[in-house]
Formats: sequence, structure tokens, C-alpha cells
Amino acid sequence: MNHALSNIDVQTINFALAAVLLPLVAAFINRLLPAKSGKVSGWISVLAIIAAVSLSIVVFSRVWNFKQLHQQYLWFTIGQTPVYVGMLLNNLSAFMLLLVTVIALPVHIYSTAYIKAAEQKRYFTYLSLFCFSMLALVVVDSMIMLYAFWELVGFSSYLLIGFWFTKDSAVQANKKAFIMNRIGDIGLLSAIIILFTQYHTFDLVQLFGEHGLIIKSTIQNGLWTAPTGELPAIWQYIAFIGILLAVAAKSAQFPLHTWLPDAMEGPTSVSALIHAATMVAAGVFLLGRVYPMFNNTELDILAIVGCFTAFMAATIALTQNDLKRILAYSTISQLGYMIMAMGVGAYASSLFHLATHAFFKCLLFLCAGVIIHEVQHIKDEHDLDIDPQNILYMGGLRKKMPVTFIATLVGCLALVGIPLTSGYLSKDGILIQAFEWAENRSLAYQIIPITILLTSGITAFYVARLMFKVFFGQFKIKEILPNVHLHIGDGSWSFKVPLILLSLCSLFPLFSLNPFLYEHAWLFEGFSPSQHMARQNNYHTIIPIGVNLLCIFVVYWAYAVYIQQRKLVFGQKNFFFKLSYNQWYIDAFYRNVIVNAVLGFGRSLFALDRRVIDGFIYLLQRITGALSALSAWTDRYLVDGFLHSVALLVKGIGDFFRSFQGGKVQYYLFSMLAIILAVFIFKLLI
Amino acid sequence: MITLTHYLVLSGALFCIGLYVILAKQNAVQILIGVELMLNAAILNLVAFGRFDKLNSSGQTFALFAIILAAAATAVALAIVLNVYRRYKTIDPGRINELKD
Repeated sequence: MNHALSNIDVQTINFALAAVLLPLVAAFINRLLPAKSGKVSGWISVLAIIAAVSLSIVVFSRVWNFKQLHQQYLWFTIGQTPVYVGMLLNNLSAFMLLLVTVIALPVHIYSTAYIKAAEQKRYFTYLSLFCFSMLALVVVDSMIMLYAFWELVGFSSYLLIGFWFTKDSAVQANKKAFIMNRIGDIGLLSAIIILFTQYHTFDLVQLFGEHGLIIKSTIQNGLWTAPTGELPAIWQYIAFIGILLAVAAKSAQFPLHTWLPDAMEGPTSVSALIHAATMVAAGVFLLGRVYPMFNNTELDILAIVGCFTAFMAATIALTQNDLKRILAYSTISQLGYMIMAMGVGAYASSLFHLATHAFFKCLLFLCAGVIIHEVQHIKDEHDLDIDPQNILYMGGLRKKMPVTFIATLVGCLALVGIPLTSGYLSKDGILIQAFEWAENRSLAYQIIPITILLTSGITAFYVARLMFKVFFGQFKIKEILPNVHLHIGDGSWSFKVPLILLSLCSLFPLFSLNPFLYEHAWLFEGFSPSQHMARQNNYHTIIPIGVNLLCIFVVYWAYAVYIQQRKLVFGQKNFFFKLSYNQWYIDAFYRNVIVNAVLGFGRSLFALDRRVIDGFIYLLQRITGALSALSAWTDRYLVDGFLHSVALLVKGIGDFFRSFQGGKVQYYLFSMLAIILAVFIFKLLI
Repeated sequence: MITLTHYLVLSGALFCIGLYVILAKQNAVQILIGVELMLNAAILNLVAFGRFDKLNSSGQTFALFAIILAAAATAVALAIVLNVYRRYKTIDPGRINELKD
């Protein structure tokens, strides 16, 4: 299998391998550095990621739309099954490799300024470990390795969410994220086991490739038939549910999305990298890898889950006051878009949106980081009792932080999907394809594209609310405390450079020379089937215009509400407000129903353990104690008593005879005399 | 008339006194005197019974031998007492008890 590769291909694979391993090396070096090495560890990680970016660019340019490279070595053999370890480079993995490294680079630079020098060693160890796991996840070629790195990604994100482990909320959040991800891991593991049972291989190319086993297998008459065997069809659906669980856990889809907003307890740079751009993309990436195995029913389920998540998260984002929490729900919402796009068959658009979203959401998080950083400064300086992430305390930051303002504006416009941004290209692609998908179906299916359209409007509203509350109007702290002096700005170049870089990446030229037609974006073309998509109907014209008109209207509405203070908004007392503000009560539901039930079950088991099992043990203990007390008494008074009396007797005899041997010569003489006299008297008597 | 019985009673009394001295005194020299007393009781017996052998006077002869031997033995015993004193700084036999268990 390996000799077919030419020298240049071997070199490409080695480059990809190096790009994956460099962050791991950086993590090891950082681990071994002395504790007070300060900023050194940051620069080691930055250097590693810069090298990884350049290598990824080379790999990408050689693989993209050109060929698929696959190299593997035998790892071990169990019974008759060889398990290979290897690397698979195709459009999808090369694209993900590039995306992850390119997003990670500005985050690394930003982190060198954002994280305190004393904490940098630990932080960059974790961050580099995370980058390694994510990069390895996208290039591996077998389900086994995929699962291993899938877990490792979850684990390193656990470390990073709980980075400030002295904060109780961070510990709770990372525990929650880890447990939620474990649920997904179980799903993925069961899916892998089922696929292996059916196909007897873990190899991704053999399973999902163009001439793979999945393509050749069919479901007929309740039987799931493949060239390698037959199983009841139900197993195919169970495997799908497993994959869906895995995707829902990693990509924060309903019903496993609740960990993502809580994960905002981690450092903001971590949120930017993991919870906006890379780790949550792992779920979408997995869908992309195993896409051929889904049948129509399963795709519909994906579309429904994604659509519901997108809508739900968007409505929650409307009323949240925590800056990072708004962005977190917006991330969930956008991930919902991607999952839905997968479901409606817009495979290329989904991955395209993944890429554009990664850039602008990373940008938004980094901006949020700068803002929070500055508000924290004010808080520390004046000893205020405020939450630095609460947008109700902000306002008017436009003039103080111009670079951050422009960057946030670009990110927000991209998130809304305004023309000239990358978000417009990818999001409208999804919308158009959703409408096309629903076109020839029954009325019930129309709900999905309409909900998604509505979600776009809601997105525009919450994004506008965020912008207006943070950057426009008056600074709220100054209204409360008029004598506060504000020394805030954009921060050092390590803050500005990543923001500018990501802002540029959030505009259209990176993805398409034509800012209005998503079909011409090179990323989109790379993932689409070879036949060119025709603009066969009016949707391609109507929808972008309609969506943008809607968005602009909604933004104006938000402007009227928040800046001109007109009473055009719903009251804060009604059911919908509470539903949104309390995040649809999903967390409360989990806490009250599942967590309490599990804890109650645990407590009852504990009580059972205490009362019944321990009671039985205690009973046994008492019985044994009584028995041993009895035998101790017997031993002491009967057995020992007999022995002691024998010993006493012997001692008495011994003492009696010993008393004659007192060491006094005259006493011996006296004894002799007494004995002789006794003998004589004895003789006389006889 | 002094009969043999008187001699024997005197000899028995002497012997008993010697025995008492040996058993009761705490001085090795006095014990030695006790030994002499018992020896003299025995010699008195020899002399008293010597009257039944008038031809050879063997009783008196034995007595002389016994006296000489007793003198020699006493000399040796006194030397031992002297050495004991040097070693133990006492001549009380009750306190020389290193051999007891």
C-alpha cells in the first residue's frame, strides 16, 4: 500500500505529521520547564503553532482538490483483525488541519498577553496538548485512533475549562463538560463497535471511501446487508443514534448543549479557540467523515435537531446579560445551522460555514476577551462590586477602544450575514439549500427553512443588542459612579494583531472573489460534487435579499429600542422572556430531574449500604466479637489456669528445694545434721 | 570413782558444744575452735577407751597422732581463713555465698 506513494507525497505526509506533532512537543517542553519560566513557555507554543501553520499551508496546497493521500502501518493484530495506525489526507482533513492551525495562531499570540506570566506554563502546556489532539483527530485514518483523539480533545478541554481551578464555578463547569462529553463518547464508541461488527474494519477509507463498504451496503426488509455480513436494520439506526449523541455532545446540540455556556468559565482565549472554532467543530467534522452512512430518515433527524438547536439557542441569546454567554449561545445556534445543513444535504455549505464561523466567532470571543479584560481593570482599580462580563454595565466603549469596536463590528456583521462578509456567503448557502430541500416535500417540512429564516432574524436582533449595549450609548458605570476615571484602550499589539488578522479573514476575499454568490467560493467548490450547481430557481436571488432586508429591519428595531429608547420591546414579565432568560429551563430540568434523581439514587444506595450491608457486617462483627470474647475467657481461665497451676506447683517444688541451696555453708551442715538425726530417729523407731 | 561413762558423757558434751559452735558462730576462726572441740571430744574417747589396751597403749598413741594431725590441719585451715579474708574482706561464712544459685 505504501510503495505507490511518490517522494513528494511521502514528504507531504511527513509535513502533516510534523504539523500534528509540533504542538505535542511544545506541550512536553512546557511541562518540563521550570515553574517560574514566565513567558518562555508562551513563545515555545507560539513557535510550534507558527511552524504548524506553515506546514499545514504546504500540505493543504498539495492535497486540496488534487489527490487523497493515505498511508498506514500495522499497529497490532487481535485474532484475525489487523489494526492500522495511519494518516488520511483528503480535502476534508487538509482543510481542517489548516483551519485549526490558522485559528490557533492568533489565539496563541493573544494568550501570551491575556494570561498572566505566572500561569503561562500550565496554560500553554494544556493549550498545546489541545492543539495536538485536535490536529491528530482530523488526520487519523481509523475509527480507533479517531476515538482516542476524540476523548483526548474532550480531556484537554476539561483541563482548560477548569484552568482557574480555585473558582468553584469553573470546577463545576469542567465537570459538567466532561460528563456531557462522556455521554457522547459512549455513543461514538457504540457506533464504532456496531460498524466493526458489520464491516470488520476500522479503516475510514475502507468504510466511508468512494468505493467503500458503506456505499455498497443496503437496508432491505429489515436487514442491513453489507458485502461483509448482515445485521438487523435496527443496528444501523443504533449506530446513527450513537453518532448523533457524539455529535450533540461535542458540537453542543440539543439535548447535550448545556455544557457549552458553562464552559465560559475558562479563560476567554480558550473559549475562542475551543468553544467557538475547533473543539465544537469536531462534531461537524465527524459528521463530514461518516456522512455516507446516513439514510434519508437519519438526515431528516439531523436537520430537525440542528434546526431546533439553532432556534432555541438564538432565542436564549436574546435575553442573556453575560457577554460570553451570549456568544456561547450564538455558537450553539450556528452549530445548529451546520448540523441542519448536513441534514438537508448541504454538505459543502455546512463545512464552508464551519470555516467562516470559526474565524468570525473566534474574532468575537477575542474581542469579548479584550472588553472583559478592560472592564476587569476598572473593577480592580476602583474596587467595584460588578460582574465584568455583564453587558448592562458597559456602553459607549466605541470611542475608547476603536480597534476592538471595528473588529467586533466585522464579526457581528459576519454573524448576521451581511453582504461583503464571509458569513453572508456561507449562511445564505445554507438557507437557500434548506428551501430547496423543503420545496418538493409536504407542508410539515416547510417548518425547517422557515424556522431557520426566523432564527436569522433573531440572530440579527441579539447581535445588534450586544453591539448597542457594549459600544453605544453611555458608559453605565460612569452613570452610577460619576467620578470614575477610565484608563482603558485596545491593549497591546498582542491583542490588536490577532483581532486585525481575524477581521480580515472574516471578510469575503479570503473565500470568494465574488462577494454575493456563495457557489463561487473555492471552499464550497472543493467540497461539492463535481457537477456545478446551477442557479436553477429563484431562491438564489430572493432569499439573500429577503434575509438581508429582514436583518436590517431587525437591527433598526434594536437600534430604536436600545439607542432611541422607544418602547417597542416586549415586557420583561411575560412567559417568553422568562423562558428565554432561564435558557428554556433545560438546565433546571437536568438539575431537578436527572442530577437530583441520580444523586437521590446514589443517596439511597448509600443508605442501603449504610443500613443493610453495613448493618449485616456489624452484626457479623458483633457475633464474632462475642465468640472471641467467650474463647478468650476460656483460654484465660481454663487453659491458662491449668497451665499456670502446673507451673505454680513446679515452681513451689523448685523453690522448696532451692531454699536448701542458700549459699550458707553452716546451713548445709545443719541440713546434714538434721538428715542424719532423722535417719537415726527413723532407725530407732523401726 | 570416775567410770568410762563419765568420760563418754564429757566427750559427748564437748562434741555437742563443738557442733553448736560450728553451726552458730559467724566467725571462721571460732568455727575452727568448734572443730577443735569436736576433735578433742573424739581424742578424749580414744584415751578413755585406751584403758582396755594396757599392753600397747594404742589409744594414747592414736590420740597423739590425732593431736598432731589436728594441729597441722588447723594450721592449714588458718591459712585458708587468712586467704579468704584477703579475698572477701570478711571471714563470716554466711556472707561468702558466691556459689549460691
